[in-house]
This record gives sequence, structure tokens and C-alpha cells, in this order.
Amino acid sequence: MKKKISLLLCFVLIFALALTACQGTTSSEDENAGENIEESLEENGDTEEAADEGFKAQITFNGSSTLAPVMSAIATDFIEEYTTWNNVDPSFPEENIIIYVSAGGSGAGAKSVIEGTSDFGMLARDIKDEEKEKIGDPNIFLLGMDALTISINPENPLHQIKDDLSSEEIRKIFSGEYKYWDEVDSSLEHKEIVVVIRDLGGGAHGVFQDSIMGDTPVREDAIQSPSMGALVTKIIENKYAIGYASFGMVNQNEGKLIPLKVDGIEPTKENIVNGSYKISRPLIVVKKGELTPEQKAFMDMVMSEKGSQIIEEMGFVPAN
Amino acid sequence: MNNLQERIFKIIIRLLTLFSLLLLAFIIIFIFRESLVFFEVVPIYKFISGTKWNPLGPPDQLSILPIILGTVYVSLVGIVLALPIGVGTAVVLSSYVDERPKRVIRSVVDILAGIPSVIYGFVGLLVLVKFFEIKLFFPSGESVLAGGIVLAVMMLPYIISTCDESMDKMYKEYSQYSQALGVSKSYMVRKIVLPRSKKSIFAATVLALGRGMGETMAVMMVIGNAPIMPKLLSKTQTIPSLIALEMGMAEVGSLHYHALFSGGFVLVIMLLIVNILLYFIENKMDI
Repeated sequence: MKKKISLLLCFVLIFALALTACQGTTSSEDENAGENIEESLEENGDTEEAADEGFKAQITFNGSSTLAPVMSAIATDFIEEYTTWNNVDPSFPEENIIIYVSAGGSGAGAKSVIEGTSDFGMLARDIKDEEKEKIGDPNIFLLGMDALTISINPENPLHQIKDDLSSEEIRKIFSGEYKYWDEVDSSLEHKEIVVVIRDLGGGAHGVFQDSIMGDTPVREDAIQSPSMGALVTKIIENKYAIGYASFGMVNQNEGKLIPLKVDGIEPTKENIVNGSYKISRPLIVVKKGELTPEQKAFMDMVMSEKGSQIIEEMGFVPAN
Repeated sequence: MNNLQERIFKIIIRLLTLFSLLLLAFIIIFIFRESLVFFEVVPIYKFISGTKWNPLGPPDQLSILPIILGTVYVSLVGIVLALPIGVGTAVVLSSYVDERPKRVIRSVVDILAGIPSVIYGFVGLLVLVKFFEIKLFFPSGESVLAGGIVLAVMMLPYIISTCDESMDKMYKEYSQYSQALGVSKSYMVRKIVLPRSKKSIFAATVLALGRGMGETMAVMMVIGNAPIMPKLLSKTQTIPSLIALEMGMAEVGSLHYHALFSGGFVLVIMLLIVNILLYFIENKMDI
């Protein structure tokens, strides 16, 4: 029995490891750009090349892993609603809608459009001029903004003293130069600042690092939360915590955590969309040249109210 | 005809056995292959002896000594806390409790083992971490100690069932003799049951160590995930939590991605060592 348990446990551990390992390696064709994690949203297996000339039943997206889940969600909705193209528009042939969304980072997204390996590229940053030049005839859609608010616990008196932090102060807090709250403002308690962040390699931290920290590294003993939800929970639970909660999460937990102004600008929808609020990045989709009618039909859905609603549900600020 | 059936049966059984063996081999080979890319850039001794983990920095800032130590530290704290409780429970179960309540307690302990680890992590986060912050005035409750306590609860069922089994045997074997000699029950437990269960206590410890080092979710939620040198009351990070935290966002094929696999490889090696150790203990230790 003892042996059996240990044997069983061996296998359980091994399987646990196997599953951990599986997570990141869903497929590995297309090695040149290292962009995978493919998500196929195929309704039916047997869809041959289009009968009509020039008609493509398949649309491919590649790029930012921030935007990929949003696109997948919209695509799933689109496919569920119409199933075949002729339901979208009677002039289209009766073929199953196929939309592929794969994530590989914003760089890979731009590259795939330049090289023509996918129809659309998803970028979670501004498109660079050189990329625009290489594409030649870019068609850019702004879907929304991904914004982070510098939030604190409502019990922290800081927001009564001043509801505004300069980028310099934020940088000092997150880099560990300010270790105690009374260094930020002398009237505060002498309590250690608890810095909460997301994992360093992730998209959210990327936005923060680029817009606030620059080259300064974040303090090493900051708490790395496994999800944005956990980060927000930590701020709600801990009086002395500060962290960058996403704009969407702050709205869902209104009153439980206080977002501060950054350089005097309040994180409101208007300020985020017009770009004056600093800690944000645009979420855009790029296409080379004109859209085909079927691509246009899908992008109309993305830009519609319904698309915006999904974008908002995912925690971003829709642009439309 | 019967002969043929027999042979087909034999072949199928053997194939199935082979399959499970190959599975283990493939997993290890796969992880090794993925981490090889990284070890070509950063040699393995640098990887496990360096003290800095920064996925945004240059490749030589990807090393996991603090994380390895964190993994071991959290498990050890868990064992230190769980062992006395576990062994004590096993003694009571084997020697002091009647057959019927024993069965009830055992099934309760088994249920403890069946609770998903996220639940433990969740309770740990909301109760334990908060308790540290509010009652003990920690700036943040995430710590090695919090991870150790959560792990201890998760290890308990393994320690109890492993120890209980051999103690039960000892007790049944010797209770008549000691009653005949008129020694008290506690004397018998101290002089016979406990010393003779040494081996299974040790085996339970090693088993729990392996369990603790591989635990991901519950630990990840309460240790703060900061890749710094672990101290009992400060934050830390373990290899499984590191992989779970960063694998989702690591770009496939990047050095960071392969470094995470290398971390997994180190963990597999550590767990293999623990399990081999267990095997030797079970075979070599007398009694």
C-alpha cells in the first residue's frame, strides 16, 4: 500500500509536470518567427478552396497576445451567429466561416502583415513608421486602449492628501527608492510600501515599464500576481499596497480601490482614448491594402457596438 | 485457440507497460531538448548558481538559485510543521482509537487529500496572508512561512496515511504481548511503535518533500512570487510557481521561454532525486 501510494504519487508528479510543460507548446509549425499558440476557430473540417474566384472563406490574425483573446472572442461570436458566409451576406458563397487567431507578440504581428503570412496583424502598441513604410498601404483600425491605473487601498490616507503622483514619484515607489510611505509624503505613517505587479515578461508590465519606469528596474521584492484579478484583490486587501490595476478592473471594483492621477491627469475614458493619460497603449489591427468584402464584414462586426462591448468585457477601453 | 488468446493478451499488456515507461522517457527528453537551447547560451552551472532572475534583462540575468532555494525552503517549512502533527495523528489513530471512529477519521483525512490545491491557496490567501497582515503587522503577508503552512496542511494526509499504516501493524502485533507484560500503552507507543515505524516516518517525509516541491497553485497564491533570496518572513518564489506565472506570457521560442523549460528540467531532476531516495529508503533501511 505504501509503495502503491508512492508509485502513484510519482506518476501524479510526473503528469503534473507534463501538463505544466504542455501549456506553452500547443503547436510548433512555422518556426521562423516563433509565433504560435494557435487557436483555430474552425466550425467544420471540410472546407476546400473557395469556389468563387477571389473569395476567401478564411481570415487569419496574428500578433499581440493581449489582443488575441479579444479577437478570438469576437470571432467566436461572429461564427456562432452566422456559421456560413452566405448568412452574413447573400452574395457570398455558402461556405463555413474560418477565422484563425494566433498570438506571437506585436512584433510578429507587424512582421506577418509585411510578409503576407496573415491577413491582419494585431499590435498592442503604436505602429512604427518603418513598419508603415514596409507595408506600403496600411489600413489601420484602432480597436481600443489598454490602460493601467496607479491604484491604492481606500484606507490609505494618501489619496486625501494628494490624489496625484508624478511619474518621477511613481518610478521611485516602484523601483524601491521610496521604501516607506512617509517618504512619499511626510504626514503618512512609517509603513513599508507593498508594491504589487504582474509578471515581468507580461504585456501589462510592458506598458508600465515603457511609460513610467524606462530603464529603471522594478524592485525585486515586489509581489508578482498571477493575474490582474489577484493584483486587484491584493490592493483591496492590503492597506499599504500600491499597484497598476487595469482600467477595466478598477471600474468593476469601484470604491474598493482608488485610482490616482498621473502627472495631474485623471484616468478617465476620455483621457485614455485621446492619449493624454500616460500609462496606456493602443490596441490596433493592421491590414495591407484594401479589405475584401468578407474581411470588411468581419471588421464591421469588430468595430460595431457588439465588438466594443466584448473589448470592454475583456478589461480594455473601446475606442468606438 | 486459448494459446493464441494468451499470447495476444501478453503482448497487449506489455505494450501498455512499455507505453507508460516511454511516456516518462519522452517527457524528460522533451523538457531536456527544450532547455538545451537555453543551456547553450547560459551554461547550466551558471543557471543554477546565479542569483538574478529578470526575464527582461540580458540572458545572464536568467538564473534561478534563489528560486531553487525557495522551492526547497517552502517544502522544508511545510514538513517541519506537518511532521509532528502527522506523526501524532498517526499514533493516535493506530493505538488509541477504536475501529469505528478510526474509519471515520481516516476518511476525513482522505478527503483532505482530495481538496483541489487552488482551494487551499485561496483560503491561504484570504485567511492566512490577511492574518499575518492584520494581527502580526507584516507589511505584506505573502511569505515563506505562509507557503509552508499551506503546504503543511496539504502534506498532512500523505504523512498520516503512510505512518498510520505501519504503526497500525506494529500495534496489532505487539499489543497482546505488552498487555500481558502489564506495560502502559504510552510506554509501548514510545518504546515499540514509534521506533519501529522509523522507516515509514522517514519515507513519509521524503514523500511530502516531493509533494511540496511540485505544488504549484496553492503555493503561488501565498508566497508573493518575488525572485529574491528566501527568508522565513519574506517573499519568495518556487520553480513551479515561476513556470506557471510566466509561461503564459513568454514568447514561444524566446530565450525566456527556454529558460522556463530549463527551470522545469532542474525541478524534474530534483524530484527524481527525491523519488530515488525514497526508493532506497524503502529497500535499504532495516525494519
